[in-house]
Amino acid sequence: MNRTTRVKGTARAKRTASVKGTAGGRRARRLDPLSLTGLGCLLLLVLVALGSLVHAGGDPDAIVGPRLQPPGPGWWLGTDNLGRSMLPRVMEGVGTTLLLSSAAVLVTAALSAGFGILAGYRGGYLNELVMRVVELLYSFPAIVLAILVAAVAGPGQLAAVASIVLVTIPLMIRLVRAAAVAVAERDYVTAAAISGAGLPRILGRHILPNVAGTIAVQGTYALSVGISVEGGLSFLGFGVQPPQASLGVLIRQGGTYMMAAPWLIIGPGVVLVLAILSINVLGDGLRDRFEPRETRALI
Amino acid sequence: MILDLTDVTVSFTTGPPLRRTRLDAMRGVSLSVAEGETLGLVGESGSGKTTTSRVALGLQRPTSGTVRFDGRPFPRRRKDLAGRMQAVLQHPHWSLNPRMRIGQSVAEPLAVLGKDAGSLVPEALEQVGLEPGFADRYPHELSGGQRQRVSIARALITRPSFIVFDEAVSALDVSVQVQILNLLKDLQAEYGFAALFISHDLGAVRYVADRIAVMRGGEVVETADAVTFYSAPEHPYSRQLLESL
Amino acid sequence: MSALLEVDGLEVDYGTARALDGADLRVAAGEAVGVVGESGSGKSTLGAAIGRLLPRQAVVTAGTVRVAGEPVLDLPPAALRRLRGQRLGFVFQDPIASLDPTMRVGNQLKLVLRAQGREGREGRDGHDSGGGRGGRGGGINADVAFHLGRVKLDDPRVATAYPHQLSGGMAQRVAIALAMAASPELLVADEPTASLDSQVREEVLNVVFSLAREEGTSIVWLSHDLPAVARRCDRVAVMYAGRVVESGPATEVLGNPVHPYTAALARSAPAAATPGVRLEPVPGRPPVLTGPSAGCAFAPRCPFAEDRCTTERPEPVRVGTQDVLCHRAAELEVIA
Repeated sequence: MNRTTRVKGTARAKRTASVKGTAGGRRARRLDPLSLTGLGCLLLLVLVALGSLVHAGGDPDAIVGPRLQPPGPGWWLGTDNLGRSMLPRVMEGVGTTLLLSSAAVLVTAALSAGFGILAGYRGGYLNELVMRVVELLYSFPAIVLAILVAAVAGPGQLAAVASIVLVTIPLMIRLVRAAAVAVAERDYVTAAAISGAGLPRILGRHILPNVAGTIAVQGTYALSVGISVEGGLSFLGFGVQPPQASLGVLIRQGGTYMMAAPWLIIGPGVVLVLAILSINVLGDGLRDRFEPRETRALI
Repeated sequence: MILDLTDVTVSFTTGPPLRRTRLDAMRGVSLSVAEGETLGLVGESGSGKTTTSRVALGLQRPTSGTVRFDGRPFPRRRKDLAGRMQAVLQHPHWSLNPRMRIGQSVAEPLAVLGKDAGSLVPEALEQVGLEPGFADRYPHELSGGQRQRVSIARALITRPSFIVFDEAVSALDVSVQVQILNLLKDLQAEYGFAALFISHDLGAVRYVADRIAVMRGGEVVETADAVTFYSAPEHPYSRQLLESL
Repeated sequence: MSALLEVDGLEVDYGTARALDGADLRVAAGEAVGVVGESGSGKSTLGAAIGRLLPRQAVVTAGTVRVAGEPVLDLPPAALRRLRGQRLGFVFQDPIASLDPTMRVGNQLKLVLRAQGREGREGRDGHDSGGGRGGRGGGINADVAFHLGRVKLDDPRVATAYPHQLSGGMAQRVAIALAMAASPELLVADEPTASLDSQVREEVLNVVFSLAREEGTSIVWLSHDLPAVARRCDRVAVMYAGRVVESGPATEVLGNPVHPYTAALARSAPAAATPGVRLEPVPGRPPVLTGPSAGCAFAPRCPFAEDRCTTERPEPVRVGTQDVLCHRAAELEVIA
């Protein structure tokens, strides 16, 4: 019945609240197995990307055999329409995609931390300005925004990075700002302000460290959004340009021969899905770790 | 007078545009705290005591009236006041930065002044009855009472002439409250700072204050010696607070 | 006479932490008992155990809870629901959070009244039909008005308001009306006035206690405020580290405490201070138990502790009018 369930909830919430202090020290420091798997997958992909730098899977531009060959000895993921082995090309593609996405996410994180925290702490006109810009960006569909950027900046890596930043930044700024607003109201921030602490100290020592968890978690999610934006943009021809390989470029090129040589899109496609999936799983784990909804231990 | 509020009014406007209503959080409040004195401020939620605290700390500009700290209006730059005024605030759970060690938190007011804490941190911790080893711990390892002790150590480290205690013991258990209140009295006897002690609990206020001001609906309804508040306060509302103890 | 509520040797663990370490409590029909303890003493766990409302992580390792003779902790779901619906009422600290924010107050009350009507027919068949509700007609809306009127909420707008539109005191009175609508035999109130201002607090307490007296409802009132509890309740039980260390008539427990912890608690309230006299609180803080306490949990802070206090668990001793868990209770009584 309605009343009893409510009652249960309150009892639990209250008890949790009253014991937070003593339980904090024992809070789980480790990620759960699923997120660890995600982390492992991601590290594996990074390793693969690094491997492509030393041509661990072969030279991505070398022609190794006949065109459009199915997977077999010498070309474990098949060959493309020019007779290049797909394995080194997918490895290079993973590298390009991860590099562009991470670079973009770092820009997003830095901008969000700066503007989000400042807007959250200072409020006023700066806050209004930041929030209106964010809303404006938010109201555009992600892919339309990306194409717009590519049209202005010209297709290429820069367009890809700029698009990822513009697509991921609105959500990140909002969440960082919200977290900063919550932290700014806490007594230790007020006490520091009363002590005469200046803005750099308050933002850097008190607010940033306490919203860092939010930035890390959102950064992880932004990375997976970035990978899919890069994929989509390059697929449409607005992002990375051939002959450089990225996962999006490979899928675009493979699409032409989808019926004749499906392995051309299966390889990069599976890697793309794997990358996004493992990053999302890792993000969930980080979120539970940094922003626990409820303290687990009691009393 | 270390702090002087004369006829202070603070108004907020709330509500949607065109239908804005004005709300006076403080209406013609005059209060003063002398050097070395503790003024207790009692009031319930919505009485305006939180706004009064913010005005006293220079965090809220009055709509009208004057505020003087140590004989002068609040300086434009907060830094000019650094170290001379400190606060111990309500929530023990949020009074300390969870990402800073206790020692760093206690030393912060000195760091703001560009001074080296040196041996002052262990000293300050001992003054509030904590072992110097606490300096290396993080806030989540401490109980509520211990955290409020740390807040007091942080407030004291610059030897300020004025400290605001805003509901500083309200969230603590009764037996711990008395420990903290006794500590406050002892430290004040030793260092002679003036204090504004704000609480909804007349019992706690009466125990530490020299004089008591009672707020209700944004106005001060009575100001009198603490002794009077043990026996016969004048205003009916004060008497009602006394009876409910 | 058998008690309405009997809690015997109740032990509850949350993981490795122990919340209750053999708590005993007795409440007679129509009696108001204040359960007093500081945070972490286990009073909220005790209150929740009475209605089997413990959080999922809680494990009952020993002991029984009986309400009107029924073993609460062993009842099948249907019987438990009937017990909660007919015999028990709960009021919690945060009134707004304990109401459904999406439903008008009147409708929430109707839910309870309808459920009570159904259960009444199933459960109490024939006898006691209509209970304390006799002499009222005019349908369920009149019932809602009646129940709100009982908690001094006579303004008809209250019934159509959502919880967030009410003040804390009004919301708590609505929660009380909900809890008392089914005329429970036992009302468990967990710090119901902690978040309210003093004037409102008095009004709410007046409402609860007068309503309970009218209906013959027993009250278990959980609080950290010993003097306030002693003013209202017939008996007081003082909890420390998961056990009830002293229980007896309210005025005696407050005025002539036997257990050293109760004495310290009564002495340490700032409100109890006389002008110019320094209060002497107990040093240290309550323990966090990880298993059964080897001896008396208060021994490390107790000025009267002897060797056996740390090694032997005290059993209840009768001293005057109080039941006390203290090895030296009899001697201390003489000293006092």
